[in-house]
Amino acid sequence: MKQILYERLIQYILENQDRFYRLAYSYTRHQEDALDAVQNAVCKALEAHESIKNADAIKTWFYRILMNECLAVIKKRNKVVLTAGAVGESEAYYEKGYEQGGDIEQELEKLELDVQGIIKLRFFEEMSLKEISGITGLNLNTVKTKLYRGLKLLKENIQEAELWAD
Amino acid sequence: MGRLEKMKERYEEIVIPQELNARIEQEIMKSRRQQTEKSRAGKRRRYQKIIRSMEAMAAAVGILFTAALNTSPAFAKEAAQLPVIGGLARILTFRSYETEKDDIAVSVEIPTIEMIAEDTGIMVDGINEEIFTRCSQYAEDAVLRAEEYRNAFLETGGTPEEWKEHKIKITVNYEIKQQNNDYLSFVVRGTENWSNAYNESIYYNLDLNTGKLVTLEEMLGSNYMELVNESIREQIAERQKAGEIFFAAEEGGFTGISQEVKFYINEENRPVIVFAKYEIAPGASGEIEFEIVKEGPPSSQETQ
Repeated sequence: MKQILYERLIQYILENQDRFYRLAYSYTRHQEDALDAVQNAVCKALEAHESIKNADAIKTWFYRILMNECLAVIKKRNKVVLTAGAVGESEAYYEKGYEQGGDIEQELEKLELDVQGIIKLRFFEEMSLKEISGITGLNLNTVKTKLYRGLKLLKENIQEAELWAD
Repeated sequence: MGRLEKMKERYEEIVIPQELNARIEQEIMKSRRQQTEKSRAGKRRRYQKIIRSMEAMAAAVGILFTAALNTSPAFAKEAAQLPVIGGLARILTFRSYETEKDDIAVSVEIPTIEMIAEDTGIMVDGINEEIFTRCSQYAEDAVLRAEEYRNAFLETGGTPEEWKEHKIKITVNYEIKQQNNDYLSFVVRGTENWSNAYNESIYYNLDLNTGKLVTLEEMLGSNYMELVNESIREQIAERQKAGEIFFAAEEGGFTGISQEVKFYINEENRPVIVFAKYEIAPGASGEIEFEIVKEGPPSSQETQ
C-alpha cells in the first residue's frame, strides 16, 4: 500500500510540475528562487511520503508543502533585503516577460500573504474552497471571508488606480 | 473580473525553464535510491535467518575456531589486561581494529566469551564463532554498501570533497549488560552513521548454570507472553501520560511481543525488552526498553 502511494506521489509530481513552478514563480518572481522552492517541496514530500494516508489527499498535502516552501523563500529574501539596508524593501523586482500590464499583480502583492494565497489557489489553480481549506488549514468560512475581502480590496484598489490614470 | 482573467492569462504564460524537470528528476532519483536501500535491508534480514541456522551447524565443528582464539596475540593481550569479574566467565574483546579507505571509516570491536572456571563443562565456542562470523560479515557488508553509496554519489555529480564531508563511519562494538555468576548478558551492535536501514543489534543472554542461551520463558514462566505484553502496555500508558509518543496499533505500534523479541538481563537479573528505533515509536525516541518484573508491576496488583 505504501509503495503504491509512493508511486502515485511521484506520478502526481511529474504530471503537475509546471503548475508547481508557476505558483512558485508568482510568489518569487524569480526563476532560480522558484526552482529552489519547487525542488525543496519535492524533496520534503518524498522524504515524508509515508505520512500520506490515501491517494485522494496527495494534492492538498503536496500544495501545503509547496506553499510553505514559497513563503520560506520570500521570507528569506525579505530578510536579506532588510539587512542590506535597501530603501523600499517591500518592492518586488520583476523579471522581463511578466510585468507588462501587470498592475493587478502589484495590487495582489500588497495583500496579506494568506489572502494572496487563497486568491491564487482559487483563480489560478481553480481549486474548490474545500481544497483551499485543506491546504491552508483554515476553516471553510474563514477561507470564504478572506477570499471575498481580498477581491473587494483588489477591486477598490483597481478602481482607485483607474481614477488616477484618468 | 476582466483584469483578474487577464492576470490569469499572464499567469498561464509564465515560461517553464527546462531545468525544472531535471531538478525534479534528481530528487526522485535520490529518493528512489533511499527506498531501494530500505527494502534491501528487509530482504537481508530474512536472508540472515537462514544464515543463522547454517551457523548453528557450523558451530558443531568449532575446533578450528578454538585454535584461532587461543593462538591470537590480541586475545592473549586483552586477557592479560582485563580484571576478572565474577567467577565463572567473562566477556572480552577478541579482535579490535580500525581502518579507513575512500573516506569510509571502520571501527570494529568483536567480543568473545571466555570461561574462567575450567570444570563447568560449558561450551561457548559455538556462540563465539557465531559472534565472530556475524561481526566480520557485518563490517564487510557495510563497507560494500558504503562503497556503493560513494559510487552513486560521485556518478550523480558529487565531488570527492563533498563525499569526505559525509564522514561515513561504520561501527561494530558491544556493551556488557550483566556479568555475574548466573548470567552473562551483552549486546553486539553494528551501525552505519549514514543510514538506519542496516543497523543491527544482537542480544546474547547466557545462563551460566546451564551454559545455554536463556529464554524469556525460562525467566518468567510459561505464560511469559501475557505477562510481558501486559507489563509493556501498562508502561506505555504511563509513559504516554508523561508525554512520550508511541505509534498507535494501526500505525504499526505495539501489538504484542513475538517469540523473537529482543531482550537483555539487567543488574537486578531482570529481563529488559528492547524495541529498535522506529519499531513502536517515532525515530526520535531511539531504542525503547521495558524492564519486566515477574511479580507484575505494583499498579497491576492493585487492580487485581
